Amino acid sequence: MTFFNVIRWIVWKDLVIELRSRETMSSMVFFALIVIFIFSFSFSMDQQAAREVIAGIIWVAFAFTGIIGLGKSFSTELQNDCLEALQMVPESKGAIYLGKVVANFLFIFVVEILLFPMFVIFFNLDVVEEISILLLIFFLATVGLSAVGTLFSALTVQIRAREVMLPILLLPMVIPVMIAAVEATKGALNGDPLTMYSQWLELLAIFDVIFTVVSFWLFEFVMDN
Amino acid sequence: MTAIFCHDLSKSYGHYQVLDGISLTIQEGECFALFGPNGAGKTTLLKILATLLRPSEGHYEILGLDGLKEKEAIRANIMFLAHGAHLYDDLNAKENLEFALALRGLSPTQHEIKLALDRVTIGAFAEMKVRNYSAGMKKRLALAKAMLVKPKVLLLDEPFAALDTAGTEIMREYIRERLSEHSAVLMSTHDREKARPISSRAGMLRQGTLQEISIEALHSDDLF
Repeated sequence: MTFFNVIRWIVWKDLVIELRSRETMSSMVFFALIVIFIFSFSFSMDQQAAREVIAGIIWVAFAFTGIIGLGKSFSTELQNDCLEALQMVPESKGAIYLGKVVANFLFIFVVEILLFPMFVIFFNLDVVEEISILLLIFFLATVGLSAVGTLFSALTVQIRAREVMLPILLLPMVIPVMIAAVEATKGALNGDPLTMYSQWLELLAIFDVIFTVVSFWLFEFVMDN
Repeated sequence: MTAIFCHDLSKSYGHYQVLDGISLTIQEGECFALFGPNGAGKTTLLKILATLLRPSEGHYEILGLDGLKEKEAIRANIMFLAHGAHLYDDLNAKENLEFALALRGLSPTQHEIKLALDRVTIGAFAEMKVRNYSAGMKKRLALAKAMLVKPKVLLLDEPFAALDTAGTEIMREYIRERLSEHSAVLMSTHDREKARPISSRAGMLRQGTLQEISIEALHSDDLF
């Protein structure tokens, strides 16, 4: 019972702090908007051409936006040595990990939901029929990004150059997620039948399960060392 | 019963030896005051006993629990009041207490929280964000947290730093209360005058080695 309470309280704490400070999400949204503006002005193309590259642009924006959020996830624990208090929690550190994953997922997913209409507007996309499958793709890819990113955020938090190290370590690890997310998004935006790109959704789901379990076990070691 | 036992504890960072063969036994109901110049290794020793650092060599037990193998059980029984106070700036006092205690599996009532905050005389600021607290108020809030936890072993790093006279007396009163309930207290401090009335034993940590000194020696300037 305490295990689930720890998860709940970690999520609550991160959400309350973010709602009050608005530091993480405002910087994420601002960065993503810049990416959207730059790409939208860089490419002048018709709707069909946009559909070919937009999936990649979307996930470049979402991945780097997510990294900003993930980077702040554990750096906020450095204030007043709060990280020490988390290390001293007399419960499996996996509970802290899952709480952080949920909070990070919520931040990134909400930002994605807020930003996607901007892509639709700036790239003139027609996504009404594909919106539910796109949300599923965003969900699965964001779970994977959060699961691995939370572990690496904890791993790099004590490093002086953590802002540089986090993307360097994280991006190679989430390449399968990014490739699967881009391919599935491209298929959905092209209006392809689900069977043509469902293997990418399966890959995302498998990646989510494997990396969440592995990161869950590794997190204890990371926190204790 | 022995509350804190460490044998031949050493800690080094690269070539720098911070602790060198520390052996110490503290019984329940004892308060051990740890003195030493800056950089002597006082905080390092406290962090090892708080299970935050792994010793390079040696062995320690808290309440008979192995410090390297039974960390979770130790953590459930100790409280470490550190320099950083372990408080979130964007939460208020009540929220900080609720959060910290919930992570330990405790769920104090609002009345208990109010009593603890009133006892450290920051009850009027219970809804204020900790960001706006002074260093002394943060210390008092950390003390309120310890009051609600009631640990069997209390590790205090500079407990009187940032506290005014009234705050110091509240801290000492709390330490006396824990001692009367058979908790063990290990505190690092530079303040002999404030530590002496509550200390049952004392030690001087210099260049990584610990030498036990008599309480009477705290009157003398020779050692300090």
